[in-house]
Amino acid sequence: MTKLWHVAWHEYRRHVFNRRFVLVGLLSVPLLVLVMVGLVFLIISLDINTTPLGYVDYSGLLADPLPAPAPEPPDRPVPILPFETEAAARSALDAGQIQAYYVLPADYLSIGWLSVVNMGALKSPARTQFYNFLTANLLRSTDPVIANRLVKGAEIIVQSPDGSRSISSKNWFNVMIPIVAGIAFIIAIFSTGGYLMQAVVEEKENRTMEVIITSVSPNQFMAGKIIGDTAIGLTQIFLWMLFIVIPILVLRNSMSFLRGIQIAPQTLLLVVFVMLPAFILVSALMAAIGATISEAREGQQMVGIISLPIWIPYMLIGLLIGNPNSPVAVGLSLFPLTAPLTLLLRDGMTILPAWQIALSAVIQVLCAVGAIWLAGRAFRLGMLRYGKRLKWREVFARN
Amino acid sequence: MPAVDLSHIAKSFGPVKAVDDVSFSIEKGELFGLLGPNGAGKTTCLRVMLDIFKPESGSVAILGGPMNESKKDRIGYMPEERGLYQDIPLERCLTYLGSLKGLSPAEVKQRAAGYLERFDLTAHKTKKVKELSKGMQQKAQVIATLLYQPELLIVDEPFAGLDPVNTQMVMDLLREQHAQGVTIILCSHQMHQVEELCDRIVLIDHGKVMLYGALDDIRRQFSAHAVTVRTGDKIPALKGVERIEPVNGTVKLHLSPGTQPQEVLRSLVAQNINLEQFEISMPTLDEIFIRVVQGEGAAA
Repeated sequence: MTKLWHVAWHEYRRHVFNRRFVLVGLLSVPLLVLVMVGLVFLIISLDINTTPLGYVDYSGLLADPLPAPAPEPPDRPVPILPFETEAAARSALDAGQIQAYYVLPADYLSIGWLSVVNMGALKSPARTQFYNFLTANLLRSTDPVIANRLVKGAEIIVQSPDGSRSISSKNWFNVMIPIVAGIAFIIAIFSTGGYLMQAVVEEKENRTMEVIITSVSPNQFMAGKIIGDTAIGLTQIFLWMLFIVIPILVLRNSMSFLRGIQIAPQTLLLVVFVMLPAFILVSALMAAIGATISEAREGQQMVGIISLPIWIPYMLIGLLIGNPNSPVAVGLSLFPLTAPLTLLLRDGMTILPAWQIALSAVIQVLCAVGAIWLAGRAFRLGMLRYGKRLKWREVFARN
Repeated sequence: MPAVDLSHIAKSFGPVKAVDDVSFSIEKGELFGLLGPNGAGKTTCLRVMLDIFKPESGSVAILGGPMNESKKDRIGYMPEERGLYQDIPLERCLTYLGSLKGLSPAEVKQRAAGYLERFDLTAHKTKKVKELSKGMQQKAQVIATLLYQPELLIVDEPFAGLDPVNTQMVMDLLREQHAQGVTIILCSHQMHQVEELCDRIVLIDHGKVMLYGALDDIRRQFSAHAVTVRTGDKIPALKGVERIEPVNGTVKLHLSPGTQPQEVLRSLVAQNINLEQFEISMPTLDEIFIRVVQGEGAAA
């Protein structure tokens, strides 16, 4: 039994303490996330224009104005300047001292409309700040608590019937967590499964196999490799999580939407009971592929056969989000290779019935055990086939 | 009880019969030669022996019974196609292979140090295996096989790729192991080394046993009816000698049927020929090998 752990540790050490793993395996996804976040911030910052706004008030409502409420980061305050006349405001606009100016007519309170003069398109953050400024001043005689509520607007919380799940504008990000977790898992599954397949092929190519199997049984060897591979994947995911969690903890004080992030216990259950067996299932299938082929590039087509069903839920994302309890969604939740992503996608949108999670987990575990058996058998039959591919019908043949 | 006993084993790959009704046994402590031309079925025999392949028929007993997992720790196997992890340092590779035979890293380090020194690899132990020359990798493979002090050592073409100095070193190492009581199966087609090291051999060709037994008996079986003589004198015509053939500074006397070598020796002495050497002509293992493989020899 200890040999199994030696194989697992060797497999883990060989790949994790390797420059390629650090560069490609670890940094690729965080870098991708960083680039995506950077792009989002770039787009937001392009929308932020802190050039002052002007206004001409004929209504007298802003004669002695209260300051504008502070905007939420990353938005920055836009100075709001009064002008006596439209001509003065226009001159400032032409001189580039302001980005736009509003004109409140004398009968603004009765007609409810105002005009805005600007050169280019007025961006939403500046517009919102002016409306908040106007609303705060219109409500200056109202109880400040009520005034503040009115300025903040309605907070609609969508809640599940059993009260276990809810979502609002403050924690909308939680819907994304299972989806992001699913993508991360699948990337990890394929990258580490790829290592495993490559390792098996290399051991065949460099003839190490023949030495190894006179020291350890094929089943122990294959199980050790799969354990090592799963540990590599979990290391990868854990470190990716660190890359994501640490910035969230650092930025949560300055970004309100990050404060609402929480992971539902059900999502954790899915990860442990469905994703983990799925991980082992795919690893074992990759190992089986590695055992049947003689060169790594031969395996790519076979990998495609496995990866296609895994990505099907993303192709059907509209259907799964629109109707997360449809028969198709339930069916995909129970099919071994589609289950992981389907369940995680549905988890963001609905309350998954416990029986579906339990049944899917049992199916995943059974399939993972079957895949390990298959990998062991393919390995036994294919380990010494140098330069000759093992046919799958030989793997499934009785002898 | 023999260390290895193969009884009527047969193994096919598709239509090709790689091994056909092969039987031989190897005694404990013996240095045994497994010979045969390329593709004769030697490696298949070894793989059947090691339970890598299941035979279609026949039985294998190794170290007193069928192969099992615990016996793997008592057997050292060096395959013909060398197999070491290329992208890790040599020392780590040895530690891993040793751990699969039940050795701790400290034991591997201690045992490997002597061998690395002996094979002049100490300075290279931290290098990746792929950075070592072919000969160095070959020596590293020998170390990996001997590291766990096996009771049964199976070496397939151990001299391939080695220069004469290292060949001698490996031969000495095999002799040492033999002297320590290790049973050794030397699979090779380098007859000179086999002749020097082994007492008994089996020769396989086309999956069948062609020769099996003590090397001296086999050589005697294949000896021509001739004697080799080295002398400075001219050899006259002798009774019972059909033909005189000069061979590399010696003379080979081909005897007529029924003539005994002692009669020829008596004749030579009677005619005052100064003899430096007189011996019954025995074929080399190389000659026997070629004759058997070319179809002159009968199956054992």
